[in-house]
Amino acid sequence: MRNFWLLTKREWSERVWNRTFLWMLFIGPIICLVMLAFLFKAGDEGKKSINVLIVDPAELMDHRVMAQAEHEVHYFFIDDYVEIEEFRDGSQYQKFDAMVEINEKILINKKAFVFYRTNPSLDVKMQLKFQMERRIEELVVESFTNLSLDHFRRIKQPLIMDFRNVYDPKNESSDLESWVGFVFGALIFLFIGIYGMTILRSTAKEKSNRIVEVLLSAVKPRQLMLGKMTGIALAALFQLLVWSVLIGLGLWIFRQTIFPDMLNPANWQGVQMSADVQSQVIATQEGMSSNPILDLVYARIDYVWMSIHFVLFFMAAYYFYGAFFSMIGAMTGTESDGQQFVMPILLLLGFSILSGYMYIQYPDSTFAGWMSYVPFTAPMVVMIQLAQGVPIESYYLIWIHLFIILLSAVLMLQIAGRLYKNGILQFGHRLRWTQIWRMFKS
Amino acid sequence: MLEINHLQKSFQRKMALDDVSLSVGQGEIYGLLGPNGAGKTTLIRIINQIIEADAGIIRFNGQLMAQQQLAQIGYLPEERGLYKNMQVEEQLIFLAQLRGLTKHEAQRNVTHWLTKFGIQDWRTKRVESLSKGMAQKVQFIAALVHDPQLLVLDEPLSGFDPVNVELILTEMKELKASGKTIILSTHNMQSVDEICDRASLIHEAKKLAEDTVWNLREQHNQGEYVVRFKGNMIGFVNALWTDFELLGHEEIGDNRFMAKLKMRGTSQMNDLINALVGKVELELIEKKLPSMQEVFIDIIRGKEEVHA
Repeated sequence: MRNFWLLTKREWSERVWNRTFLWMLFIGPIICLVMLAFLFKAGDEGKKSINVLIVDPAELMDHRVMAQAEHEVHYFFIDDYVEIEEFRDGSQYQKFDAMVEINEKILINKKAFVFYRTNPSLDVKMQLKFQMERRIEELVVESFTNLSLDHFRRIKQPLIMDFRNVYDPKNESSDLESWVGFVFGALIFLFIGIYGMTILRSTAKEKSNRIVEVLLSAVKPRQLMLGKMTGIALAALFQLLVWSVLIGLGLWIFRQTIFPDMLNPANWQGVQMSADVQSQVIATQEGMSSNPILDLVYARIDYVWMSIHFVLFFMAAYYFYGAFFSMIGAMTGTESDGQQFVMPILLLLGFSILSGYMYIQYPDSTFAGWMSYVPFTAPMVVMIQLAQGVPIESYYLIWIHLFIILLSAVLMLQIAGRLYKNGILQFGHRLRWTQIWRMFKS
Repeated sequence: MLEINHLQKSFQRKMALDDVSLSVGQGEIYGLLGPNGAGKTTLIRIINQIIEADAGIIRFNGQLMAQQQLAQIGYLPEERGLYKNMQVEEQLIFLAQLRGLTKHEAQRNVTHWLTKFGIQDWRTKRVESLSKGMAQKVQFIAALVHDPQLLVLDEPLSGFDPVNVELILTEMKELKASGKTIILSTHNMQSVDEICDRASLIHEAKKLAEDTVWNLREQHNQGEYVVRFKGNMIGFVNALWTDFELLGHEEIGDNRFMAKLKMRGTSQMNDLINALVGKVELELIEKKLPSMQEVFIDIIRGKEEVHA
């Protein structure tokens, strides 16, 4: 046990007290925070207001669009023709971001062209379309029917088919939360990929510089393998911990400075808002969000819950996959051999990430059910399940999944230990499948 | 101290050790000789518990060899290896700790050996920045830093310049004087002649010979003598008569000759002296024992001739 910890400590020190690792310890969170800031900004982009000029020579619109609840789109009317070139280049039109052409046939053919300077966000396009459509509807009802607008809208109301899970009839879990689980699961596999390759390279390096023979004269091969894997795992956890702290700190600073919580009345100082509007905002807090990404990151992720399970499943899956990387490193004679044999493992990691996507798309399929029990894919599926929320009565299933991965890891470590012992002192050969079989048998 | 009984090991169909038995006594320097691929490294790896034997047992100080005894063994493998990006001192402390020393003990021993080998100033340098000879010294220190009772050295002299070869040989003699036991696997036969007490020769997985170095040389003695004298070469040849065969001679100047001859029949050295006294001025008569290199070649060739 003492030697195991010595090997673990040495491996940890070699990983951590490395210039690249130390740089990445700080650069990684900075990159993540910059990316998150861009995402937050992108969430706000949809709210950017634009000025739209409605060219309506037939004066059909009567200088009106439906009463607006939101003010992202500001409408201006002109009762004359405006050519595209004129709109594009004319100084009097430069304040308009887009021009909508309303021709006299619009009530029949229901088609209008929108010429924009910069492509508006999908949100703005939807608002513009919705508001214009409502106004055209009014005109159609006036011109072609004897119905009141209310009656018309009732008749026109499309059938809403709302698909709901019998186990979640209130539709409390959402796709966004599933994607949070997906991100956690993908992180597990990303770190396994990165640190699995570190196990492989480190083992192959000890083989090629022949220190392995000195080490094996003092420790057992399995001890050496596990010491190395644990040392690298601790370096990975250390990196994750530092990243989590730094990213958490960055997010807190973001919240205090660039992206304050506008649903929190404490942050309304300096914002002109009537009492009515304030109470309206408070009343709609539960269901509404000023920025869905900010809302997701700051309000909808239970970081403690997810982190505890993340560490448990990461460690179990790391030892399971790490056993593969370790035995490949021990068996190969050259580094290029290792690259070839590691490809199937990397493909498996890729498949596991894909399985998360499949699970979100088809959560009740038989395939999805199986994936949560297969140790290769289980960590991904379980993280999604945890993010979606696991009912207390079926929480024991999470532990069953964890137990299956741990059991598979122990089994794989046994096999890997055998191959490690037989392969680690073979040098300069080209690895073949027959040779792997012989190493396993001997 | 070390008893090896009927050891067998094969890799797939190739026999690496076939019923090898030998024993190494306390305070001995024991030479393990044999051509490349004979099975020496396999034997050494089994002693160090790096690989397992298919059959046979090893006893260390009367007890069956197990993992616990490894702290009493120092091992220098033929293929040298160190962590290239670790500092010299840090690396030696790590290896000493793996062999059971506390950090404090390891620190003390490392300082002692680094000073003794004159590389104390390099203790904070990374191994990759050392010269080959310097790295070899570090490797040698790694084998004995934990003060083992038994040292297993596989080709300890390869890669060293003559000055450092002398340094290592002197160190081995000192270790022997302090009661340590050394198993020395080498192709450097001069060093075997010089420092080994006993030796065994392994060829094609089998032990072909084992004895003291002196006895091995005696056993392969061809009955040859070297005579240095001053005088007339014709008078010398006439004095030999038929009891001795002159194999060759060489004039070394100033009317001095060096002659190599072989006894015939039951003739002894005294007969030779009696035959030559008064005929030439004798300066030296020496029984010429074969070197360990000659013994080695003799045994291997003899084995091959038997096969042929």
